[in-house]
Amino acid sequence: MKTFLLIVFLLWLSMAAAAQTRAKQEQKVFPYAYTIDDLPNGLRLVTVPTDYPNLVAQYIVVSTGSRNEVEPGKSGYAHLFEHMMFRGSQNYTPEEQDAILKRAGASSNAYTSDDRTVYHETFAKEDLDEIIKMEADRFLRLKYSPDVYRTETQAVLGEYNKNSANPISGLYEKLRETAFGKHTYEHTTMGFLKDIKDMPNQYDYSLEFYRRYYRPEYTTILFVGDVTRERALKLVKQYFGEWQRGNYSPKLPVEPEQKEPRTAHVEWPSPTLPRLAIAFRGPAYSDQEKDKAALDLLAAIAFGENSDLYQRLVLKEQKVDALEISFDNQIDPELFTVFVRVKDLKGVDDVRDQILVTFKRYTKELIPQEKLDATRSRLRYRTALAMNSSDAIANALAPFIALRRTPETINQLFALYQRITPEDIRAVASRYFVDDHRTIVTLAHDSEAKRTVNKQGEHR
Amino acid sequence: MMRKIVVALVILLTFALVPVFLPAIDGQEESKTANKIETVLVPDRSPLVSFRLLFLTGAADDPKGKEGVAALTAAMLARGGSRARSYDRIVEAMYPMATSFDSQVDKEMTVFSGTTHVDNLELYYALVREMLLDPGFRQEDFTRIKTDAINFLKVSLRAGNDEELAKEHLYNIIYANHPYGHHNLGSLGALEKLTLDDVRDFYRAHYTGANLIIGLAGGYPAGFPKQVIADFARLAEGKRERSKIAMPKLAPGMRIEIIERETRSTAISLGFPIDVERGDKDWAALALAASYFGQHRSSNSYLFQKLRGERGLNYGDYAYIEYFPRGMFQFTPAPNLGREQQIFQIWIRPVEPQNAVFAMRAALYEYDKLQREGMPREAFEITRQFLLKYSNVLTQTQDAQLGYALDSRYYGIPEFGAYLREQLSKLTLEDVNRAISQHLRTENMRIVMVTKDAEALRQAILSGKPSSITYPSPKPKEILAEDKIIEAYPIKVKQEAVVVVPAEQVFN
Repeated sequence: MKTFLLIVFLLWLSMAAAAQTRAKQEQKVFPYAYTIDDLPNGLRLVTVPTDYPNLVAQYIVVSTGSRNEVEPGKSGYAHLFEHMMFRGSQNYTPEEQDAILKRAGASSNAYTSDDRTVYHETFAKEDLDEIIKMEADRFLRLKYSPDVYRTETQAVLGEYNKNSANPISGLYEKLRETAFGKHTYEHTTMGFLKDIKDMPNQYDYSLEFYRRYYRPEYTTILFVGDVTRERALKLVKQYFGEWQRGNYSPKLPVEPEQKEPRTAHVEWPSPTLPRLAIAFRGPAYSDQEKDKAALDLLAAIAFGENSDLYQRLVLKEQKVDALEISFDNQIDPELFTVFVRVKDLKGVDDVRDQILVTFKRYTKELIPQEKLDATRSRLRYRTALAMNSSDAIANALAPFIALRRTPETINQLFALYQRITPEDIRAVASRYFVDDHRTIVTLAHDSEAKRTVNKQGEHR
Repeated sequence: MMRKIVVALVILLTFALVPVFLPAIDGQEESKTANKIETVLVPDRSPLVSFRLLFLTGAADDPKGKEGVAALTAAMLARGGSRARSYDRIVEAMYPMATSFDSQVDKEMTVFSGTTHVDNLELYYALVREMLLDPGFRQEDFTRIKTDAINFLKVSLRAGNDEELAKEHLYNIIYANHPYGHHNLGSLGALEKLTLDDVRDFYRAHYTGANLIIGLAGGYPAGFPKQVIADFARLAEGKRERSKIAMPKLAPGMRIEIIERETRSTAISLGFPIDVERGDKDWAALALAASYFGQHRSSNSYLFQKLRGERGLNYGDYAYIEYFPRGMFQFTPAPNLGREQQIFQIWIRPVEPQNAVFAMRAALYEYDKLQREGMPREAFEITRQFLLKYSNVLTQTQDAQLGYALDSRYYGIPEFGAYLREQLSKLTLEDVNRAISQHLRTENMRIVMVTKDAEALRQAILSGKPSSITYPSPKPKEILAEDKIIEAYPIKVKQEAVVVVPAEQVFN
């Protein structure tokens, strides 16, 4: 009798657990109710009310980044433009802009990446009206003099300078330049140094950039926090309603297929530990096609902290003290890159080989189902943990808004993760991790490292 | 065309309204030892649970010759195995939960922090508990963690982040021969010699119930704090004993140290000790003055507007009255860096080397002006308004609320937002200007610069010659007139107080 009861109980327990799992899978990763409103001029408003009191996070996402810098000699302008947006508009001097943000107790900034420029402010909800009005003025009626423009180009050079002390920026620049030949992903968001130095002479081009891209059809306004759709929509219509739609779309060069493995070396002028970047041409973002999603899962499994490789190189053999993957969601095909810092120059060859073997391994081996499940769980919880304030929710949404202009793409992406099988991952890995699509860049202080690089051609 | 999509609310995450600040739960029934463990609880209805387990110990407790042992001990607990599980097993267990358990070591505080979804609270807490209470102290972890610390100082900081290098060296020279006198990670000479036994000794001596404050926030179950207290009662009882940390005594006069290394630009930090900490009478006045003069990473402040906005000298210029590490990576300060001693600091982000002396003079000129004239009334009102609202931004997340609550306990003040509002509402412009003139006055400014051709820079400083500046664009005549003053602004420093330090010698 007792045994029977126990079995019934266990059965019930497992059913309950299964039901719970199903419920969990059905819950959306982006759990907030949101609204989308499109204005006739092409501007989109996304409003996400939350229970966090008092504050509103306002993110204005322009789907323009260094990717859009198609003319030779004109890299870095999306980022420069981000700076210019703080230098006054027709009805507000920079001092007046600052005073408004200051009275609102705002945390305010902006950033630029390959595919987007994001202007963000988090502030007290009662200041919403005044801040939207001011924002609209700089988006619709930006105004700066040639002198102010030239001064700001110097601040941009200052930004390049402060970044330049870090070897990672040198390694990353070289990687982009080597892996891409035609596409604008060839340069970093900061731009080529020679182009940055030429910026003071390009006032007219800067205005052209504004006319092309600071347009409603490129822009989505995102509000998250203590705000209602009615209020947000009324204000956005009032202040952004007259914004004129543009008519420019850039002709982006298509990157031809890579036909041979590439290598490059950065000789770093000061003492540092050797670094290594191993990249394969990867896919663009998609919430429909399996390629990017499958490789996202593989990235964590093959190279994440819990991977065999990480545990071997970082914890057991202790040859490497940093092992990171870079594989962003991008509009166009992006590199799948593993970055490592090696503790000893003598270990570079071996580390490189172990990484290459790992890439090969997953083109042949099937990933165990439990690892795949653990990784899906991780991605899900990571997203939940990251959304811990209105500002954090808006910040997490912004890249997806730049890509698809809707939060729903996050849910679609996670639904796609759910459908990926070990076979999918193996198939995708063998399509992308092809020697001819590979770029390896090394960085070291010693010229000895150069010899290591030159040998890489042999390693196919 | 108007299109409307409304998606139904999915209740995965429900959030609370206003978190409650509960002082302590000293009255709870526990064993005698347990009663002595302090708690700071910030419960709410969030699906996340945040931990901040704060030990009142840190780099100031590093014994002489063993600088770095406090940081190594914390890292061994947070990034090493427990007795039952090797570190790779811990990583494996945390992986599906997307959690981590991190440590931060400052002079007087060591905090272990992490956030988990409440779904995973039981397993996460089991890991955290064994990591802190049953550390594995394995040799392989020790080797890795010690090498990481050495490489961080030698490579990441000394040869990869000029700005943080200048700041940390500034602290080191201000606090020379003082308990704060070495980097929180240690000094290279001492680190090389540290052993696992040193770590064990440090753990035994300082990881005590008396030094611990348990901080929990979020949607944990009702009985959970009680369980944590009971578990941590296993720590040796210990005694909380810290003698008052004195203000550092500086040799009189200005001192400039120029760190030489191969780099494109010149990073600059300036500072001197102040006798004011959070909770002191003049803290809010000085906080307001620093925000006006150089609010962190904000274009809304005076220095930024003068140096970057008007002149395009660099990427930004800021001022501080509390330690704020990693400022280039974050917009708001990390909590749990409570200190009895602080400095007033000016951070000039890297400038083109030919403008280095001009930029330093500009910083000194503006600082002297602030000191002499105080701040104007209009700026006072608007900065006060800013800070009143900005405190909400600082404590946006439950983890930040918890961190600030722990700091408030340390400084003996009420909940941070309430404290700031109360203090600011009482302030007058006269209070602020008196505080500026009283506390921000020094003849003993310390300056650190990081640059390529250090000797040339040294000569340029000592020559007393004007450091002229040219711009790629015409400037208004007021700026040019002010430039004339700045270019020739006297640098009151003796020849022997301007020294060149090779980068290889920093943190040794």
